[in-house]
Amino acid sequence: MSEAQLDYFLADKPGAELTATLVTEACQALRHNRDDYLAQVGNEPVIAKLTEVASLWRSPDYELRKIALAASLEETGFPREVLAAGLDACFADWTQEKFFMMLAQELGDPTRLQSFASQPNRTLSMVHGPQLTAHIAPGNLPVPVFQSIAFGLLLRSAQFIKCASGKSLLPRLFGHSLHSVEPGLAASLEIAEWKGGNKALESALFAEADCVVASGSDGTLSAIRQQLPLAKRLVGYGHRVSFGYVEKLANEVMGTRAILSRTADDVIAWNQQGCLSPHVIYVEQFGSLKPERFAEMLAEELEARNDAMPRGPIHTNEAAAISTARRFYKIRSTNNVGTLLWESEESTNWTVVYEDEKQFQTSPLNRFIFVKPIEHLEEALHVLEPVRESMSTVGLAASEARMRELAVPLARWGMPRMCPLGQMQRPPLAWRHDGRPPLGELIRWSDLETA
Amino acid sequence: MTSFTSLAEARDAVCTFIRRCTDEPGTGGFDELALGLFAFQFEQNTPFANFCCSENRTPETLTNWRNIPSVPTRAFKLLELTVLPETDRETVFRSSGTTRADRSRHFHDRNTLNVYHASLWSWFSEHVIGNSPNRLLFLIPELGQAPESSLVHMMDTVAKRLAKRDRCFAADSQWRLDGQAAVDFLHDCTTQNEPVTILGTTFSFVHLLDHLDDGAMVFELPSGSAAMETGGYKGRSREVTKAELHRAITDRLGIAGGRIICEYGMCELSSQAYDGKLDQANAAPRLFRFPPWARARIVSPETMQEVAPGQAGLLQVVDLANVGSVLSLQTEDLAKRRNDGFELLGRVELAESRGCSLMNLDHV
Repeated sequence: MSEAQLDYFLADKPGAELTATLVTEACQALRHNRDDYLAQVGNEPVIAKLTEVASLWRSPDYELRKIALAASLEETGFPREVLAAGLDACFADWTQEKFFMMLAQELGDPTRLQSFASQPNRTLSMVHGPQLTAHIAPGNLPVPVFQSIAFGLLLRSAQFIKCASGKSLLPRLFGHSLHSVEPGLAASLEIAEWKGGNKALESALFAEADCVVASGSDGTLSAIRQQLPLAKRLVGYGHRVSFGYVEKLANEVMGTRAILSRTADDVIAWNQQGCLSPHVIYVEQFGSLKPERFAEMLAEELEARNDAMPRGPIHTNEAAAISTARRFYKIRSTNNVGTLLWESEESTNWTVVYEDEKQFQTSPLNRFIFVKPIEHLEEALHVLEPVRESMSTVGLAASEARMRELAVPLARWGMPRMCPLGQMQRPPLAWRHDGRPPLGELIRWSDLETA
Repeated sequence: MTSFTSLAEARDAVCTFIRRCTDEPGTGGFDELALGLFAFQFEQNTPFANFCCSENRTPETLTNWRNIPSVPTRAFKLLELTVLPETDRETVFRSSGTTRADRSRHFHDRNTLNVYHASLWSWFSEHVIGNSPNRLLFLIPELGQAPESSLVHMMDTVAKRLAKRDRCFAADSQWRLDGQAAVDFLHDCTTQNEPVTILGTTFSFVHLLDHLDDGAMVFELPSGSAAMETGGYKGRSREVTKAELHRAITDRLGIAGGRIICEYGMCELSSQAYDGKLDQANAAPRLFRFPPWARARIVSPETMQEVAPGQAGLLQVVDLANVGSVLSLQTEDLAKRRNDGFELLGRVELAESRGCSLMNLDHV
């Protein structure tokens, strides 16, 4: 099979002109198809089909996976090795057990999606998802889009996925794999692409949808909010940032190699694109692993890793951002004892900047990481105060017991997610994105009060 | 090799070179002068010398001006990149920015300002003034209102060189347009049938056009009128594409497209590039050209080697007129080399400043 043979979704037809009428008609067809099939099926068959799709994607011989991995950087945003690793990590998590656990986490009783189930207070409750959800998909990572589609199907919602212009390939391939395992599921799914801000198409879509799920900048989200009638729900996910934290006894508990390797895992995953990737690694100052030494060894680790999993080519403007930042830190390092720089030669493949300056710093990404010393967590929370509202994840290197201790002040401070270093870009299926329930934001409850 | 023992010597050599280039195009000697200036700045400017040593490029090892280490423009925010002792820093140009800490500082004294004036005037007059007898409308503050802006300083120099012409400065110290003053001046030009050249930043032109729109005013300025725009928006006005802006200048002011010139400059440089000359056909894409005493290089951000013509890369400039600071700069602009000029593609999106404008506003 080749990409040219894919012909099911609106986005499969390159050059086809989209109109508001076409979008409206597509939405109406989706509702109709949903009523015919998706709304009628139980949890088990939906979950069985989702896990079947996941197992297809895990197989190296799967045709659609091969198309994805052979696609250009323009289409996927990632070189082959990085994309393959990211897809494997995502689909490894899609098991029956985990899907049911998520339903239990979110609904208490998974049967609530089809019938009333009792609550402790003798009220009976049932939940239902939106009949039609519109997704404004992020342009950087494919995994959140796959997850959104899966969650929508779990809630028996028809879905219209609006991709950023030129970024629909991976969602389309995923949609086609759904179609191959169960055409009825794909019949409730439409995928289209256009450049964001097209008022005519977006108004048509928002008029039809019951709920809009959007990822993007604050500007994008507020523009969508302005376009939405008050009664329509917007589930918006803005840009977030993350960091790593190496506790001073981690070296004794985990060993230097493990800490370095896990840090590199997080820097390399999805080439650091996405809100869960670290910009900065804070290293506690008074342990056996000195922050400067850690930075130097991390540079060696990233150089070694680049052989196994090359960062690959990136766009000129991204490379220019790295090279501009590098030159700045280079001249700073030659004039200031508090800054050190390690960089790949003849390329922008990886960069490590050590800085005494403790403030949180956003990285130009694509394997550009800051390492900064920190006295203790309290100091970290103090310097992170300006970005508190934008925090997503901290990856911790610490003993299990110490991690639990650190988690309390972090959670009180407002950190939505704490995980072991090395797993920052691998949240569990049912994780609470920005601290919000993955299904709970989408559903509505119907309560039946008994006498 | 040319060697300089004092700033005055360097100043004289560069001023002489600028004069010779202006009088006889094709004058040689750039390479030698660049290497001599490099050696002088290496000697006199410790932060620059430290940087060059870390790159293993020193006056002893360097034989080609292309290998002079390029200092990133944002280093001007961090370091005192100057050969001037503190007591001699009579003038400072600062880039725009929200706090003092994130503004570049380019120090000058009488010597370096002499070179700056010589450099800016000769290239400016050739491109923007030509033989025109135009009056001048500046959509920028007067020098006293914004003494640390290199653009204001430049326009003050222009106004002084053209002292006999009628002129108007129609902006206050906050760069707010005095719409009434501008309109009155344009009105007078029209009734007297005297052509006018309007000079300003991109956002000040937007402000002027918005002001005209508010009053439903349209000018048909006398034939020979012209415009020069520079810089970007930095959130000071709504943003429009360059093509839209130029169309609006033509539609609302009656200035022909061929008489709208864009300037590329910044406070860290002492020479400017223009994307055309009055009345000369400016085919798209419009190409910027620096004067012969400043040379542009486009380098790959991956390897820092020069890229082939037509390929996108980072713009570096070696500007001999930067006698008192550093002559070789790496800008934060992407460009493509075409023929003897370069096409600007836009600003590098840095992590701290996502969503910034298409062109460099540091000149303001």
